[in-house]
Amino acid sequence: MQALRIDPCTLSPECEALRAEVRAFLAEAMADVPPQKRVRSWAGASPAFSRKLGARGWIGMTWPTRYGGRERSALERYVVMEELLAAGAPVAAHWIAERQSALLLMRLSPEVLAPRIVPGIARGETYFCIGMSEPDSGSDLASVRTRAVRTDAGWVINGRKVWTSGAHRAHYMIALVRTGTAGEQRHAGLSQFLVDMKTPGLTVRPIVNQVGEHDFNEVTFDDVLVPHDCLVGTEGEGWSQVSAELAFERSGPERYLSSTELLLQMIDAADPADARQAVAIGRISANYAALRQMSLGVSGMLARGENPAQAAALVKDQGALVEQAMPDIAHDLFGGAAAPGSALAHALAYTTLAVPSFSLRGGTREILRGIIARGLGLR
Amino acid sequence: MSDAMIEETAARIFADHVDRALLERFEKGEWPARLWGLAVDNGLTMALAGEDAGGIGATWHDAYPILRGIGYWQVPLPLAETMIGALLLSAAGRAVPDGPIALVEEGEALALAGSGEAVRLSGTARRVPWARHCAHAVAVVGGQLVLANLADPATVRLTQRESPAREPDDEVAFDGARVLAAAANPFPDLAAPVRTLAAVAKSAMMAGALEWLLEQCVQYASDRVQFGRPIGKNQAIQQSIALMAGDAGAARMAALVACADAPDTAARACPAALFSAAAAKIRAGEAATRAASIAHQVHGAIGFTYEHQLNYATRRLWTWREASGSDAWWAERLGRAVIEARAAGFWPSMTRRQFAAMPSTMEH
Ligand SMILES: Cc1cc2nc3c(=O)[nH]c(=O)nc-3n(C[C@H](O)[C@H](O)[C@H](O)COP(=O)(O)OP(=O)(O)OC[C@H]3O[C@@H](n4cnc5c(N)ncnc54)[C@H](O)[C@@H]3O)c2cc1C
Repeated sequence: MQALRIDPCTLSPECEALRAEVRAFLAEAMADVPPQKRVRSWAGASPAFSRKLGARGWIGMTWPTRYGGRERSALERYVVMEELLAAGAPVAAHWIAERQSALLLMRLSPEVLAPRIVPGIARGETYFCIGMSEPDSGSDLASVRTRAVRTDAGWVINGRKVWTSGAHRAHYMIALVRTGTAGEQRHAGLSQFLVDMKTPGLTVRPIVNQVGEHDFNEVTFDDVLVPHDCLVGTEGEGWSQVSAELAFERSGPERYLSSTELLLQMIDAADPADARQAVAIGRISANYAALRQMSLGVSGMLARGENPAQAAALVKDQGALVEQAMPDIAHDLFGGAAAPGSALAHALAYTTLAVPSFSLRGGTREILRGIIARGLGLR
Repeated sequence: MSDAMIEETAARIFADHVDRALLERFEKGEWPARLWGLAVDNGLTMALAGEDAGGIGATWHDAYPILRGIGYWQVPLPLAETMIGALLLSAAGRAVPDGPIALVEEGEALALAGSGEAVRLSGTARRVPWARHCAHAVAVVGGQLVLANLADPATVRLTQRESPAREPDDEVAFDGARVLAAAANPFPDLAAPVRTLAAVAKSAMMAGALEWLLEQCVQYASDRVQFGRPIGKNQAIQQSIALMAGDAGAARMAALVACADAPDTAARACPAALFSAAAAKIRAGEAATRAASIAHQVHGAIGFTYEHQLNYATRRLWTWREASGSDAWWAERLGRAVIEARAAGFWPSMTRRQFAAMPSTMEH
């Protein structure tokens, strides 16, 4: 159970000073962004905004300077992330690259790929997508069938990835593919590759989601040739590499803050004298308080070099419950009563349609609870 | 005493002395005098009290293991209440009396009359845990911290009741009860210090009970065999217990933060204490609701027996989620303050752990 334990973390005065800086920046940079855009939370993308953040040194701020980082603490990074998310800033363009892809490159290809690519990520110019899921491989990620075969010229990849968020604006994908047979252990024979999205044979097709937006895609590989040095890490070690990557993917405050704009609209529409509204909003606020501290605690674990995989699964599971309850609570309090065309009505409609994905993306509720159950020793 | 020593001491006393036999005798009405004596002799009752008053002067953070331990081992003592009473009295520069202290968190028509040596307390407090065992009660009335004499039947009428935990939950009618000491509220940041600190303590106690519940469920699910394998091998059971782990973790985190933000004799200013107490009590209450339900489902019929230990924890969780302000009670007050702050004030207040309107929403 120790791995599920999260201890509180205190933010230093430097962190709070940084928070003030970020707020001042956001007040200006977000001044013209309407609630109808903020509601998209970290699904909203703006390369111009990402470049501005990069210029401020707020992307990859914990990384070594040789990769364009600023060598600041994980807690300072946490403060920047939570401020961006609370403001509904359009961070999607660089989010994945910063959260997981760059870490993979710095750890597994520190001399070749990282110096070439990571500085562009830190500048907010280079974007990534995650090539894990396939039509027949969702939760059962180890069953992926997209395959890479080694040739003299490089690795040739064939297959198909789906639900690839942001593939249409990404410069690179980290793809999890099969390079050998699974054999006895299903997790063997997997490898990760850095794939340039402009490589011939790679095709990106939009998949429109139920909100009506184009966020994720289908990506097909038709004899896509990838240079030898784009094998990330070790051939056959893809599974353990991807497990570490998923811990980062799940560890951040975006896993509880996605419905914040709807909460803010509810607060502005609410009447302090209405006990029913007050109780509901008080409960959400208490949950935010606990989740914020847990999320911060996970950042503290990262800062201390601990493995947060199980703790992150626990926080993401709890966070999704709160995010997903938001439209139901808003419906209960304001459904049918919000003025048509108002920011509240829009946030309610949008968030209602968006939330089913919150307990799917990044690992489903059932998969996360399976990880927690393993942490408890039940499996 | 260092915080590690406090933790060790509490764990040793509780683990060694709170057993099934003691709990059963307690539930038949026997006061656990020896256990209380150990808590007193080892300084637990005076953990939060200042050193001037003969206490340890620990922070709430240091004292968390005691409070958590009350829940984890289901300790049947007014220990949290006495710790808080002693803290308030010593922080106000008043002597701490011997014996358990009851807390009057709220009441009807509570009022002081008279002056100097002859101040008297009147009014009714409907729920005063442990009152029958206490010769003294601490209350804050009209901004005054008072220590009232509970031991005089002529001026204090006690109606004995029990909570679902089978702990005393008495009604106390004060009719000119003697005020033995009075002082200004030592923690002016807290509009209702007794209620607020009691809520912090309950949250930590609930976090402890939830931890025990979780361990108990994991153990039972691993031991109980049906269909030829432990029930914990079924995914349905695993997923329920995993949810419970999340609730227990969230409640624990909120309680730890509430303790970190609560005032002690050294650090009196506590701008974040009220918010963090509210958050902790709400979160613990919600966790108790979900976790108790899951725990009973996992245990089947055996968990529904008085014989089984499970109900000693769940009955406490159901009692404590109501006590010191239920989750709904706190949520209404926190929610009103959040709404007053409007959307623009929400996030800055969250990160400060302070909603400006909260002291006033505490006054109904
Ligand atoms: C908005 C969004 C963005 C995404 N972006 C990306 C991306 O950028 N890159 C990427 O690679 N993928 C992405 N995904 C895919 C995501 O990772 C998968 O949706 C997820 O892993 C689940 O796979 P699936 O959808 O195939 O569902 P399935 O695995 O088929 O699951 C369907 C249901 O069955 C349950 N289930 C499955 N197996 C078990 C089991 N063993 N026990 C109990 N229940 C089980 C699941 O929990 C779920 O409830 C995205 C998904 C969404 C919704």
